Amino acid sequence: MKHLKPINNKAQILLQAAQEDRIEEVLAMSSVVGCTSTTDPGWEVDAFGGVSSLCQPMESDLYGCSDPCWWPAQVPDMMSTYPDWNKDATSSNESWRNLNTVFPKDK
Amino acid sequence: MSFKRSVALLAVLASTCSMAVLAASDKVLDKDHEYMAVTNYPNNLHIIDTHTDTLFKTCAMPDDFGPGMLQISPDKSRAYVLNNHYADIYGIELDSCKVVFHAKLAQRSTESARSMFSMAVSPDGKELYSVVNPTEKNQDHYVVGTPRLQVYSTAAGLDAKPLRSYPAPRQTYLMQMADDGTLFVVGADIYTFDVNTGKYDVALPVRNWKRPNYSAPDVLYFWPHQTKNRDFSILYTAAKFQDEKQDMATAEYKYGYFNINLKTNKIEQRDFASLTEVYFTGMRSPKDPNLMFGVLNRLAKYDIREQKLLQTAELEHSYYCVAFNTDGSKLYLAGTFNEIAIFNPDSLEKIGKIKLPGGDMAITTTQVFIR
Repeated sequence: MKHLKPINNKAQILLQAAQEDRIEEVLAMSSVVGCTSTTDPGWEVDAFGGVSSLCQPMESDLYGCSDPCWWPAQVPDMMSTYPDWNKDATSSNESWRNLNTVFPKDK
Repeated sequence: MSFKRSVALLAVLASTCSMAVLAASDKVLDKDHEYMAVTNYPNNLHIIDTHTDTLFKTCAMPDDFGPGMLQISPDKSRAYVLNNHYADIYGIELDSCKVVFHAKLAQRSTESARSMFSMAVSPDGKELYSVVNPTEKNQDHYVVGTPRLQVYSTAAGLDAKPLRSYPAPRQTYLMQMADDGTLFVVGADIYTFDVNTGKYDVALPVRNWKRPNYSAPDVLYFWPHQTKNRDFSILYTAAKFQDEKQDMATAEYKYGYFNINLKTNKIEQRDFASLTEVYFTGMRSPKDPNLMFGVLNRLAKYDIREQKLLQTAELEHSYYCVAFNTDGSKLYLAGTFNEIAIFNPDSLEKIGKIKLPGGDMAITTTQVFIR
C-alpha cells in the first residue's frame, strides 16, 4: 500500500486491515462476487501494464461491467443503484451518446 | 399520399408486422435439429438455427435484462434465464415463448437477493438450483445475510417458492449438476453439494490449492456452458515460480483450466499456455480435446499437451464468449455487442456472422443444443 492513497471509507478500511496485520484476510480475486472494491487492472491498464488486453473498443465491455456492478466506481452499478442507466442506449456501440453520468441522490 | 391514406397504410403495416412477430414467437423447434440460444438487450431470448446460421425466432422476456445467463432444460424444451438484474429466474418454453416458470430469489419483502450466475437444472429436469446472496437495507443498518442454496420444483409455475433451502459457502458463482445428481458449485474452491441434505464438501481446492511453487490462482469466469460431452470448464491464471523462494521477478505466468466431467465427476486441473494475453472464455474442441480455443481480443488456438500457441485470428472487437456447435465444425463468438462471429476452428477463418435484433449481449452465455 505504499503507492495507493485511500480516499473513501472502504479503501480506508482496507488500509486499516493492512496496518493491523490482517492483510491475510485480503484475498486475491478468485471468484465473481458482484460489487467489489477491486482495483484489478481493467479499463485503465491491462494485467500486463499495457493496453492490448483491454476490451476493444471500451464500449464492448461497458454493460459487462455495469450489469454485475463490477467496477461501481468507474461505471454506474446497474444491479441495484441505477438499473435504468442504459435504457436509451441498449446497443452501446451505436447509442452510447445517450448514456449519462450519474450522481448519488440526496438522502 | 393523403394523411388518411398514409395512416391506414401504416395501420395495415403495423398489424402485418405484429402478426409476423407473433408467428415467429410461436414457431416450433424441429426435433433432432441443432440450435443456439442467446439473450440480449433490451430483453430478448434468440434461437438461432446453426445449420443455416440464421435467426430462427425471438422471444421477448418479461422485466429487465441482466445478465441473461441461461441454461437449457435436459429435454431441450425450456430455457431457464437468470435475469432482472440477477434477482429472478424465468423458465421460457422454447416452442411457444411462454413464461412457464418464475422465481423471485428474495424471500422477504425487506430482502434483496442476487445470484451471481449461479443456476443449474437437475438431469431429470425436475429441480432447479440457485445460490442466492441475500442482503437487507434497513433505515439505519445494512445486513449481509448467509448465502442460501434454493431448490425449486420446475413445475412450480409463475410464483415459485423454494422447496428446500440450505446455507451455502460465500462467494460462489457457477454451478452445474452431474448426471448422478451431485451439484458442483464453484466459488473460492470447487464444492460438491448434496441437494437433499445441504451437506457440502470441497471437491477441489482453488484459492486454497497447495500446488508446489504456484501462487494462488486467479479466476474470472461466468460462462457456464452446457456441452455435449458434459464438460464444465473454468479458466484460471497463476504464477509458476522457479523454486521455493517464490520470486515474482522470475515467475512464469500460466493459463490453465479446471474441468469437471459431469458424466464421471472427474475433475481435471491443467496448465495449457503461458499467460501472454487475456481470454474471458476458453473451450476445448469437441473434435480434439487437446485443442483449447480462447477468446477476448483475439481468437487463439492452443495445443494443450505441448502448451503451445498454434494459431490466432484478429477480431473486429472483443468477444467474451466462445462456443462450438456439437460436432465441433464451427465456432461461435458472442457476448459484448449484438453480432455473433462464426469461425472455422481448423483454419481460424471467419466464415460468417449473425446480427441480432436488439442491443448488447453483454455477459450472456450462448448454449448450443439439439432439440
